Amino acid sequence: MTGKTMRQKRYWIVVVAFFCLVLPPAAGATQTHGDPEGLLVHQASHIFFAFSMGLLIYWLRSRGLVRSRGWRWIQYAALLFMLWTADAFLVHTLDELSGWIEVSSRGPWEITIRTDGSPFLGVLYYLAKLDHLLCVPAMLLLFMGIRELNREEGVKEEAQ
Amino acid sequence: MTVTALPIWMVDIIGAVAMIVLAFLCIRHARQLCRRDPGNVIWTYLSWVSYCLAGFAVSRSAGHILKQLLIFSQHSHLWKMVQPYSGSINTFLLIIVAAITLFFSRVWRVYQQITEDQAVLTQTHAELIDLNETLEKRVTERTRALALSEKQIAQADKLASIGQLSSGIAHESTTLWASSWDTPSCCCATSKRITRPAMISGSLKNMPKPARVSWKICSISPAANRRARMPSAFTTSSRRCWCSCSTIRAAAHMIIEKDFAADMPQLTIDDKKIKQVFINLLMNAQHANGNRGKLKIVTRHDVRAGNVTVRVEDEGYGIAADDINRIFDPFFTTKPTGEGTGLGLAVSYGIVKSHGGDISVTSRLGQGACFTVTLPVIDA
Repeated sequence: MTGKTMRQKRYWIVVVAFFCLVLPPAAGATQTHGDPEGLLVHQASHIFFAFSMGLLIYWLRSRGLVRSRGWRWIQYAALLFMLWTADAFLVHTLDELSGWIEVSSRGPWEITIRTDGSPFLGVLYYLAKLDHLLCVPAMLLLFMGIRELNREEGVKEEAQ
Repeated sequence: MTVTALPIWMVDIIGAVAMIVLAFLCIRHARQLCRRDPGNVIWTYLSWVSYCLAGFAVSRSAGHILKQLLIFSQHSHLWKMVQPYSGSINTFLLIIVAAITLFFSRVWRVYQQITEDQAVLTQTHAELIDLNETLEKRVTERTRALALSEKQIAQADKLASIGQLSSGIAHESTTLWASSWDTPSCCCATSKRITRPAMISGSLKNMPKPARVSWKICSISPAANRRARMPSAFTTSSRRCWCSCSTIRAAAHMIIEKDFAADMPQLTIDDKKIKQVFINLLMNAQHANGNRGKLKIVTRHDVRAGNVTVRVEDEGYGIAADDINRIFDPFFTTKPTGEGTGLGLAVSYGIVKSHGGDISVTSRLGQGACFTVTLPVIDA
């Protein structure tokens, strides 16, 4: 280690020590995590997931993997997962962030949806709540894709 | 607006169960794929995605089912306690699936590279095994080829010794015959219209056999072949020589097929001697064919090797494998006694060798023979 590097290292140790000793609340305090943070992280995870699924579709297509039936189904699964995650993002936003929707239960089989604006928003919210209609087919296609790849590999093995 | 919650509730419950079942089915097939090819990183990626989605499905779907059951049984407060944990796990697993997928491209590229390297390794390994297995065979083949070439060298030495010895004897006997037999008078007796090859063979025929033999033996000697060589248009020379083909064709019922190269160069050769070689080969072919069948003459110029080749092929009785090594030996003949002196090919061999060329034969018994004369192209 050269003398110059040693001097730089000492300089930083002095700076950090100064902040720790002179300004303890700013240097050592742990940030608190309030109520909306969890929801924001969850929403961010939905965006990240949608992005990764989009990227997966792009890679599968650019590498020509979709010529195989198995990968083609996995590609469709990724597309449905993207739609599902967008749907879930919308429901979370309407439910907890926008304040445009208020849902109350009127017994076990009925709910009341109140909207600030257009009644169309209520219909959109009701349909968006049925998100399993997107994620179940997505999972089914993923299963079919992996099963097809497994079958193709089996055929290759038999051929060898 | 007030709407029924039944569709939401049903889709939630049935969908949640379906998600869990499908996720575990994905794991099952992904594991089978991994078992088939444990080194395949793509299958590892798929199994990781399946595991994470299964975790996500269990956490989310179990959460949904629990939520509906707790709300239905008027225990909403309990759901409020469980909800943050279920949500956190969902978020965590969703991020893992997304992160793994982001690395998919890199994983795929690495896998492709590994596969290519593996293919190269496999091929090299196969080549090595092949080399190991065929090494012994190759050594045997090379040894056999070496033995053959040694045999050919010995043959050449033997021919040279015989040539020197016999030409010495022949020279003495030719001198004796010359005193009692006048060649020019014999030649004068022949018509001017007769072609030169015919004239040569005609004059030889008119010689008494012992004199003919002595004259031929003299031709074997390198000293006899060491005459002044002049640049000669090979095409013209050979064409003139092939005129004897007409004589052969007239005498026999043979089809003569000529395939002459157009770019034949000038050669520094002893024109008369080389013609004698071709006449010998043609007469042998005629004899082998029994005056019928096909006789093929091919000339080629190999610019890169710097030589010309002349091939004379017949469809005659061919040469037995035992005889083929002795075919250029003086006095060796496959013709019946009295029909051949056994000197034609020996003389031809001597002439071609003295020109720095080569003469070889390939044949199978009953399938004809092919004589190849190779002469170097030397700038005049």
